Amino acid sequence: MSTINRSVPKVDAKDKISGKMLYVSDLHIDGMYYAKTVRSTISKGFIKSITLPELPEEVTVVDYRDIPGKNNVKMIFEDWPVFAEKAISHYGEPIMLVVGPNKAIVQDVVNEIDIQYTLAEPVFDMVNSVVDYHFTKGNPESAFKNAKRTIKYTYETGYQEQAYIEPQGFIGTIEGNKVHLTGSIQAPYYVKNAVVETLACDPSDVRIVQANVGGAFGGKEEFPSLIGCQLAVALKKVKKPIKLIYEREEDMEVTTKRHPAKITMEAAIDENHHISAIKAHVGIDGGAFTGLSSVVLSRAMIAATSAYTIAHLQVDGDVYLTNTVPNGAFRGFGAPQMIFAVEMFMNHIAKDLSKDLHAYRLNHLAKQHDLTTTSGTFRDPILMPQMIEKACEMSDYHHKKTLYERPGSYKGIGMSWFLHGCGFTGSGEAEHIKAKVKLRKDEQDNVHLMIAAVDMGQGAKTTLMKVAAEVLKRPLETIHFDNPDTDQVPDSGPTVASRTAMVVGGLVARAAKQIKDNWVDGKVQTVHESYKQPEYMSWDQATFTGDAYPAYSWGVNVVEVEVDKASYEVTVKNIWSVYDVGKSLDDNIVLGQADGGTAQGVAYGYLEVMRHKDGKIVNKNMTDYVIPTAVDMAKTETVLFDNPFALGPYGAKGAGELTLVGGAPAVATAIEMAINKRIYKIPATPEYLMELIHSDNN
Amino acid sequence: MVEHVIPKNLEEALKYLNAKPYKVIAGGTDLMVQHRAWSALSPNFKTPLLFCFNLNALKYIKVQNDEIAIGSMTDLETLLDHPLTPEILRKVISVMASPAIRKVSTLSGNIINASPAADSLLALYALDAKVVCRSLHTEREVLVSEMVLGPRKTQLKAHEIITEIRIPKTSFTHTTFVKVGGRLADAISKVAFVGCAQIVNNQVKDLRIVLNAVSATLIRQKAIESQWLNKAPNVLQSQMDTILEAYEAYIQPIDDQRSNKYYRKQTALNLIKQFINTL
Repeated sequence: MSTINRSVPKVDAKDKISGKMLYVSDLHIDGMYYAKTVRSTISKGFIKSITLPELPEEVTVVDYRDIPGKNNVKMIFEDWPVFAEKAISHYGEPIMLVVGPNKAIVQDVVNEIDIQYTLAEPVFDMVNSVVDYHFTKGNPESAFKNAKRTIKYTYETGYQEQAYIEPQGFIGTIEGNKVHLTGSIQAPYYVKNAVVETLACDPSDVRIVQANVGGAFGGKEEFPSLIGCQLAVALKKVKKPIKLIYEREEDMEVTTKRHPAKITMEAAIDENHHISAIKAHVGIDGGAFTGLSSVVLSRAMIAATSAYTIAHLQVDGDVYLTNTVPNGAFRGFGAPQMIFAVEMFMNHIAKDLSKDLHAYRLNHLAKQHDLTTTSGTFRDPILMPQMIEKACEMSDYHHKKTLYERPGSYKGIGMSWFLHGCGFTGSGEAEHIKAKVKLRKDEQDNVHLMIAAVDMGQGAKTTLMKVAAEVLKRPLETIHFDNPDTDQVPDSGPTVASRTAMVVGGLVARAAKQIKDNWVDGKVQTVHESYKQPEYMSWDQATFTGDAYPAYSWGVNVVEVEVDKASYEVTVKNIWSVYDVGKSLDDNIVLGQADGGTAQGVAYGYLEVMRHKDGKIVNKNMTDYVIPTAVDMAKTETVLFDNPFALGPYGAKGAGELTLVGGAPAVATAIEMAINKRIYKIPATPEYLMELIHSDNN
Repeated sequence: MVEHVIPKNLEEALKYLNAKPYKVIAGGTDLMVQHRAWSALSPNFKTPLLFCFNLNALKYIKVQNDEIAIGSMTDLETLLDHPLTPEILRKVISVMASPAIRKVSTLSGNIINASPAADSLLALYALDAKVVCRSLHTEREVLVSEMVLGPRKTQLKAHEIITEIRIPKTSFTHTTFVKVGGRLADAISKVAFVGCAQIVNNQVKDLRIVLNAVSATLIRQKAIESQWLNKAPNVLQSQMDTILEAYEAYIQPIDDQRSNKYYRKQTALNLIKQFINTL
């Protein structure tokens, strides 16, 4: 077996640690202007009037009337304006940019702009459905008819903020007709395609370059398209270099977050106490515009039984629009909400039936050749029984469970089992993304990866360069991978959906093989590869039937907690994890993903609170939005299982999101044990635990 | 940018203040945040500023007339490491903000910022600490608990500056500090508690209880404390409900982005109870 998993120093580490690396806000162009966004101060209504102060020389205001093409940020549905025209759909909606060479003067103009509104009644509840999907597997109606009993619970999850270190931003220049944007982004071609539509220009007149990215977590998948379009419109009008960087509070108030969700699960229980069928309804709050919410909903619905196999299913889902900040992509993409609901539901069913939680769950665990939720097939080996055993052994789970289940212990140990589909859902890769890669060997025999993949700290550069080096049997130093520039590299797709190592890495490996097979010393050689859907895959988007993903990564999290009797605060003592990511392409990088992912996933379950009041986000800085610090983070121990996937490079599957999606139910089930009450919503804050502990009917 | 001055010594600072009401900046870790502006622009101060970072004569900690005297420009990180720092104050400082902020922030700044959630005030109230307020022609000593009038309001006069914090020497058999802050570092208290007691021959000889973030100013009720002196700890424990009821009248928290009033109140009462049960 390949030893590619042996760790090497990350290629970007030295510049990042030394502080040498420049990010977009560090970039300076002589004579550049600064842009500041003017935003709505109401949640719903209409603009009645806008009164501008007398504009100082060199200050320009840019709004929807300056858009040459469509006033729409190109995504899936056409409902997200680049600038508000008349209607306002959420607090903080962008109305115009003020652009000028002097920040203080730009700020003064922004302060003096007077906007009057006609108010309308905002909607904050999940009532206005704009996307509604459903699918079935087997015959749920008959299973429910024959059920001995049914069990039904509703679960709720809150916002989560990506909390990347570096806020959103771009710097742009214009030369003749050509707009050039450099930004903190995950998807260079998403930005390019959106800007081309907004400017109604020739694609060759838009060049997008990825700046070094200081964290993204999904938050830089679609939102940068909005700012990119605004800045491009401003560049066309002002014809000067312009910088547009968000402040932290602006970023936290107006950029996309994880969708709050409300998930109702109902199980049909047969005469053997087995779950014969599940009906699930998944409601997610899309915020003011649909954005990517329909795709988030799909991933959530497809994870409706997570790591279990249930024979009969009816899964319904809705995206609801509310007059709040638009929600969007975030590591896990709908799965964290669903997996929380599934894991809690499995535990609650077992409790209702007075069954041993562990044994009951094991009885329902998915096995190779089982049908997935969408009636596709788990084709590859599933190592979950061995992984669960390993996790129990590492954490001393069974012994601790016996100790902590005694009433009044205020200690708990919880466990979650989960999977994550790798790559785009359904036929997304084949029909929408159609990833292409290019490799170029120069005269010095250095090989350049010409791909649109983005390293946002997760290690994409090191990993993909290692794949090429390993195939070519060449030193890593001879492989080069610059930040993508749409004028140079083909569209290998966005860096999202746990697809980069598996899909783009697979294409890089194939392209490298081509170069190796045709290698001529000192000769410039260029090769291309493009994505081909595995032949066994079939997917019907209309009925959600078939193989939703080419492969699945699997995981087990165990979390141990203590709850303070006086303050109800949760202390996470230990986190153990076992993952099957196919084949690790670099152990330290995967373990880094594991530590970061569990920190983010566990904190989603008990710590990170974000709410809005009348449509305004109230936890809008890193003081009031509490994420764990180094002293809050528990000790982690992670083990990786090899389970190579035939079509991934060296067997690699996805690793980026897997490590997040099981954190919340693991900590929530641990807290349930500690306080001997049931948890139905996350984050399980001390405030919520106090209510539960003092409540008699739970 | 507003006018700002950087006096070289206290004398010069007092002369400036005598002439004009400057906003006095000690470490600036609250003020700079409160007046933040778009990056690379000057902070949004409207009043002239007086920066104290050069007043080196106000950076000390020493014993003076049976009290511990702390110069008002002494940073928290220095206090954290100093052997003269009272134990309960050290406990509180150890979880305040982050090391970088503690390196420049001061007790005097925390007092004048007068936040209902200020952590150092818990220890200063419990220790009956006083501040020395100097102007060009006057000097007065005020209890910290009397200095603070309300959120962001103190009785410091426009021409005055705090020069020293004085802490009477005390001895306790029990000291407890609990901060409930959402996380273990870099957090603002949802509620926090300091309890100090001196038990001699099974009698409570001294009892001090302070809470923050559950009313407009910190709560310390000497009248309640004195009712329970010269009694055995188990007497206090057996009359827990009476004690808690007495405090409940003063605990009037609010809902905000960090927590809610029900939680704050219940937790405050739990912390008092937990402390008394340890005596």
